[in-house]
Formats: sequence, C-alpha cells, structure tokens
Amino acid sequence: MSSRVSIWHDARRDPALLVLWVLAAALVVYVFITGGYLIAVLQFAAIYVIFVTGLNIFMGYAGQVSFGHNAFAAISGYTSAVLTANHGWEPIAAGALGLSGALACALIVGYPTLRLRGHYLAMATLAIGLIAYEVAVQWGSVTQGYMGISGIPPLGIGGWTVTSDRALLVLLILSAALAVLAAAGIRRSRLGRAFVAISGSEDAARALGIDVAHYKLIAFLISAFYAGVAGSLFVHAVGFVSPEVYGLHMVVLAFTMLYVGGIGTVAGSALGAMVVALLPETIRALSDYQDLAYGAVLIVILIYAPGGLASLSRLWSPKRRTEGA
Amino acid sequence: MLELVGQSIASGVAIGCVYGLVGIGFCVIYNGSGIVNFAQGAFVMLGGMLTSVALKTYGIPLPVAAVIAVALVSMVGVVLERVVVRPLWNRQSTMFVMILATLAAQIVIERSTLIAIGDQPRTLPMFTDIPPLRLTGIAISYQFLWILGCSALVIAGLAWFFASTKIGKAMRACSINRDAAALQGIPVSRMLALSFALSAALGGLAGVLVTPTQYTAFNVGIPYAISGFIAAIVGGFGRPLGALLGGILLGVAQALAVVLLGAAFKNVAALSILLLFLFFRPTGLLGTAK
Amino acid sequence: MNLLRLDGVTRQFGGLIAVDAVSLDVPAEGVTAVIGPNGAGKTTLFNVISGFMAPSAGRVMFAGQHITGLPPEAIAKRGLVRTFQLAQLFENLTVLENVKVGRHLHTTGGLLTALMPFRAAHSETVVEEASLALLRNVGLASQQDMLAGVLPYGQKRLLEIARALAAEPKLLLLDEPAAGLNRDETTRLASLLRQIATSGVAVLLIEHDMSLVMNVADRVAVLDFGKLLAQGTPRDVQLNPDVIAAYLGTALAAHA
Repeated sequence: MSSRVSIWHDARRDPALLVLWVLAAALVVYVFITGGYLIAVLQFAAIYVIFVTGLNIFMGYAGQVSFGHNAFAAISGYTSAVLTANHGWEPIAAGALGLSGALACALIVGYPTLRLRGHYLAMATLAIGLIAYEVAVQWGSVTQGYMGISGIPPLGIGGWTVTSDRALLVLLILSAALAVLAAAGIRRSRLGRAFVAISGSEDAARALGIDVAHYKLIAFLISAFYAGVAGSLFVHAVGFVSPEVYGLHMVVLAFTMLYVGGIGTVAGSALGAMVVALLPETIRALSDYQDLAYGAVLIVILIYAPGGLASLSRLWSPKRRTEGA
Repeated sequence: MLELVGQSIASGVAIGCVYGLVGIGFCVIYNGSGIVNFAQGAFVMLGGMLTSVALKTYGIPLPVAAVIAVALVSMVGVVLERVVVRPLWNRQSTMFVMILATLAAQIVIERSTLIAIGDQPRTLPMFTDIPPLRLTGIAISYQFLWILGCSALVIAGLAWFFASTKIGKAMRACSINRDAAALQGIPVSRMLALSFALSAALGGLAGVLVTPTQYTAFNVGIPYAISGFIAAIVGGFGRPLGALLGGILLGVAQALAVVLLGAAFKNVAALSILLLFLFFRPTGLLGTAK
Repeated sequence: MNLLRLDGVTRQFGGLIAVDAVSLDVPAEGVTAVIGPNGAGKTTLFNVISGFMAPSAGRVMFAGQHITGLPPEAIAKRGLVRTFQLAQLFENLTVLENVKVGRHLHTTGGLLTALMPFRAAHSETVVEEASLALLRNVGLASQQDMLAGVLPYGQKRLLEIARALAAEPKLLLLDEPAAGLNRDETTRLASLLRQIATSGVAVLLIEHDMSLVMNVADRVAVLDFGKLLAQGTPRDVQLNPDVIAAYLGTALAAHA
C-alpha cells in the first residue's frame, strides 16, 4: 500500500480531487491543440507548480515558515540569465551553477535561521527574500538593476534549442510532473515521514531519535532546490528577468497558490498553482487590480477554506469529516 | 566630514523615532493578542496619504486634516480586526496564517489606495515653516523637533494609559492571561479591537509626522512595516520603550550606512541588523516583556 | 545489573529546586515506578534523564555510559525512549505512519532512497510489516489508516506506546501512561506493561494510579519536593513511614 505514489492513492479516495486532475489534464491537452495565449499561461503555471511544490515540502510537510524562497529563485535565475545572455554559457551549465549558488546560500543562511521559530522565523526568511531583491536592484553592474536583463536564450543543449511554444510547454509540464512525483515520493518515504513528524511534534520526533535540526535543514535545501529550478526555468521561458520577477508579488502569488490548493498535500500545490495561474490576466504585466484580487482571495480562502482544494470534499459532505471517528 | 556624520545621526534619530512609533504599534497588538500585524505599514501610509488628500483636495487646514486622518486610520484598523483578524481568531488559525492574512490585507489596502488616488507621490508641508535650528554646525529642522516631541508624548501617554486607566489595565490583563481576563469580565474581543485601533492610530500618526520630510505614496507601507518590525525586535518584542530605542538605533545605523557606504546600502543595512538580532539576540536590547 | 543510574541529579530553576540530588538505580529488567505527589519533580526528572533538560548537577548513566547533557535524539539512539505526559502524536500522519516513524532509528534511507521508489519498495515493506505487528499487539491494527488525530484518547496513549516500542528501546520511559484512561483501559494497560517487561524491555514509569503501580511495578521510587524519599519493592515502600507521612497516610494504606 505505502509504496504506491500518494497522488494516485489520494485521488482514488477523493472523487473531487480526481475530477480536478482529469480537468487539469484535459486543459493541458486542449491548450496544446488550440494554441494561442493560453500556452504562455500554462507555461507560467508549470513553473509555479515547481516552486510551490518545493515550498510545500518545507512548509506543508515539515510545518515550517518561509517568506523568502523567492531569494533562491532569484539567485539561480539571475545566474542563468547573466551567464547565458552575457557570457554565452550553455543553459544547462549556467543553471547548474545557479542551482549550486542557491543551495550554497540556503545552507549558509539555513543554519542560523532554522533555529528560530514562529514569527521570528517568518521575519528572518522575509528579510532574506528582501535582501535578495535589494541585491538584484543595487548590484547594477551584474544585474542591470531595475532595467533587468533581456535577450536570454531559450533552453537547449548544444545546437538544438527549444524554440516552439508547444515544445517548451511540453518540456515545462514534464519538469513539473517530475517535480510533483518526486515530492510525492518524498512524502511516502522515511524522509517525508520524518518531516511530517517534525511538524507534528518536535519533542516526540527527537525522543524517537530524529535529529530535528538536521532534517529541517534538509527540507529547506530541497525546497531551495525546487525554487532555484523554477527561477532558472523562468528566465529561459520568458527571455527576460528583472528584480520584480522575484519580488513580493512572487511570494504572495505562491502563497495564494499554496493555500488555494491545500497546504500539506502534493496534489494541492500542483492544482493550486494551475488554478491561480489560470485566473485572467495572470501573466500580463503586474496590473493594479491583479494584486488586489489576489490579496482579497487569499484572505477569503484563509478564513473559509484553509484546507484549500485538497479538502473540498470535506467541505461538502459532513459525513466524510467524521470518517474514522 | 564630522559635520556630515553628525547631521546624519540627527536625521537618523528623527526617522528612528518614526520607526519606533510603528514598532510600538506592533507591540500593542502583539501584547494584546500575540499576533504580528503585517498591515501596520499600511496605517503609516494612510496617515500621510489621507492628511495630504484632506489638505490638498478639500482645503482642510493641516492640524485638523491630521486629526481627521489619524481618526480614519484608526477606524481602518478596527475594520481590519473585524473583517480579517477576528474570523481567523475565532477559527484558531495558526500564527502563520494570521501573518499571511495581514500581509494580504496590507496589499489590498495598498492597491486600493493606488486605484483610488493614483501612484503620484504626495507630500505635506512642514508643520512650522521656520528655518532650522543650528547646533554646533548641525541643522535641526523644526519637523525633527515635532517628531521627537510627539514621540516623547506618545511614550508618556501610553505609559500612563496602560498603568493608570481602567481600559489600559484591562488591555494589559488580556495580554498577560486572556482566559483569566475573560473570567474577570473583561470583554476580550473588544480589547482586541481597541488594540488594533490604538495601533493603527500610532501608525497613522507616524505617517503624518514623517511625510513632511519624505514623500508618501501607495507603496511606502511595506518598508515602514519592516522598519517598525526591526525596531520592535531590536528593542525587545513587546516593550514600547524598547521599540522606540530600537527604532532610533535602526535609524542612526541606516543613516550612517548611507553616509559611509552609499545610498545603495540603506535597506541592506536595515535587513542585516534584523538578521543579526534574530540570530544572536532575538530577545532584543531590553529583553522581551513579561 | 543497573541499566540506568542517576547520581546526585539536581535540577534548579532559579531559586526553585525541582529535583534535589536524586540518586536512583533502575534495573535492566522489570517495571520500576516513580511516584510522588503533584509537583514532586517527576516529569522534570524524566526531562533530565531523556535529555530534554540538562541537570544543574549530577550525572546520568545509561548502559554504563555517561549520557548527561546529551541531546534527546542521541539518547534515543542508545536505547532510551520516552513518552510524554500529554500524548504527543504526529496528528497529520496516519496511525500506521506514526509507528513507522518509531522505526526511524532502525531503518535507513534519505533523499536518494525517497526518489527511487523501486529501491525503497523492499525496505518499506519490511517497515510496514514490523509496524503492523506492533499495532496488532496493542489492538490498533484496524485503525491503521486513520489520522492519528481522530483517535479517542485511550487509543492515542496506546499508539504512543506502540510507537515508542517500534524504536526497540532497552529502557522505556512512560510519563503517566494511565492518565485519562478508564478502568477497562487501565487494566489492559497493566497487562501490556507486564508483557513489555517480559519481552526484555525495562520500563520506568511515572504514575499516580496506585493500584496500577502496585500491580505492575517490581520496584518503586518515591519523590517528594524533588527529593528521593524511598526506593524498594512496592510493599517496602508502602510501609515506609516517611512515605506514609508524605502522602498523609491515606492513599497508600487504602490500596494495601
């Protein structure tokens, strides 16, 4: 029972989730066939699926808090951008270096930060995210500040590049699928159980021999990796990067997706990202009403449906809520 | 050079008092409920913004405009409490959810202001239009004196309020032990609303005081919230006097960083101080209250 | 052979001395109970033994090695596992998963194993079987897929014990395992405890339920105001005048 991937298992038990997955798959196929503007929206959604799934590992599984994962996306993304656009590196090599940078930063920063709890942890991670933003803005010689870097080449290896929209969409969806499967695999494993144990009771976890500090750091690093991948994929998909890409907007968007989907579940992160990304005008330049809408939606969800989509059926049928009592 | 540094320190102290006022706002709500209200910065922005609108669009004289603005901001605080905080409170949401919700509220307020008033920065005239004082070569504008004076009055007023008035003592009781306070007949939920109103008023006042020296715009909220939070942490979360001292320390450190390292380091300096304290002395300079 | 040895263990909180120079020996077999009035320092003692607090003075030795001041996870690794006064289950995990976490020390596998499901399959099967066996032992096998949070309190306490046993401890520390249980559940707990002791796991428990203690314990230690008043067989302790005085003579005598 347990070795089977949890997404399938959860979906089998929960018809609402199954319906959502089918709809998501149908949408992808539809968009692939008809093309147009929605392809870009789905590309954006796929990248955010990766980011949010990683964040869910740290916040949903291990029960920690981070307002600053955009920093890791920024480090990896900017490294990819600068190396490929200005120095002619191969995207894979640039991305590898960017990811290493993000992981190194997470390691250095994680060690003191993860000893903090509650709002101290929240604020420390927020500070990290803000510092990354500041560096992106101020280190003009490398990042071109507010103007950003454009002309970033598309993904590819050697001579072959991904130039068509549809090809890029397939690549991104596959990456997102891989990211989600990996997260599900983690949840089902001894590692994932240790994470969730920590969120349940740190004391009890330690009493059973789990080195809590060590595992928190691992969760942090894994989620930083996911953030870095998302960050680098973004710059190649869009061809342009600026500090705003990784600013507070990303944080709010990611949290909205995390909570719409349902924090703690693998399906939740993926579905939440897709749903939120599909709201109208998502990837157009930050328009005034957009953030207002996200803020309001997030508040409503936090109050009335904190379990998100993943807990939909629980909201509808009271009978399910008492299952197992 | 020394004069430049001295000048920086002077202005750092003044802006630091503003940060301190914002930080005190954090403390008031935190002490009353354990919530970190991330919308605090929005109150600062609204304070200056509404005063400016009252003054420039409706021609209301500055002192009256300021009072009206602070009162309005206070009401916004109560609305925030009722609409966002109370429902989450009643559902016993986690602390993180509350922080996230107040952050979302900050964004809603910010964007609403943008839509209603536009993105042009606004200013207020100085309170007293006299050339600045000169002390050993350092210019101290009267606005700085206003800021210092008001901050001192606020601290004294709050101290008296919490120590001597019935309501103030009731609020303190709620922060020490909510259940016991409720059993004593203290209307805890009303105290919560009151703490938000008070905190919002403090933020609004900070906004009014600081806008003559800097501009205000729809998006100045978050930087002030962060600065206020840093002030509160540095001072020792929960202690109003600590928040003021923390704010002054932050303001001076920032000013010195700008003078000695360059303007680019202003925010990095502030955030580094925050991280330093969080990592090495989370209880702050004075240690946490209680 | 003494498995656990406390040597003059003291724990102070400012001016308050919670545990006062306690020297105690716990044998490697059987059930030892620590009793005493509320506030006598029993849980603090457990906290010191299991590494959640460092002692202000004194030493703790387990299986002949110093464990004073070691962190809880290191002590658990050596075979000393504790439960908590208020059941600390992993509410977001299922009943079965809770026990699997108990197997953490005796399984391996980190990120790499997690990402390769076929490699993981075999060790996961082993863990699953071991965990199910433990659940059957406490009668919770049918609830294996329920979230731990929905169990009734009595079953939560049983789950906590099953989970602790999953870690294959040499010494099991139980903090008030009978608290909140009804008579039926307490009887079943008593036989479970005897069964655990017979299987070779030493048990050290804090308890208030005197009939449980008298039925189950091989040795009893009495704490009052942080000091060790007496230790010995249940009978000896029952007749000890200092102990009788501490309990005002009524409780123990009534259960004689």
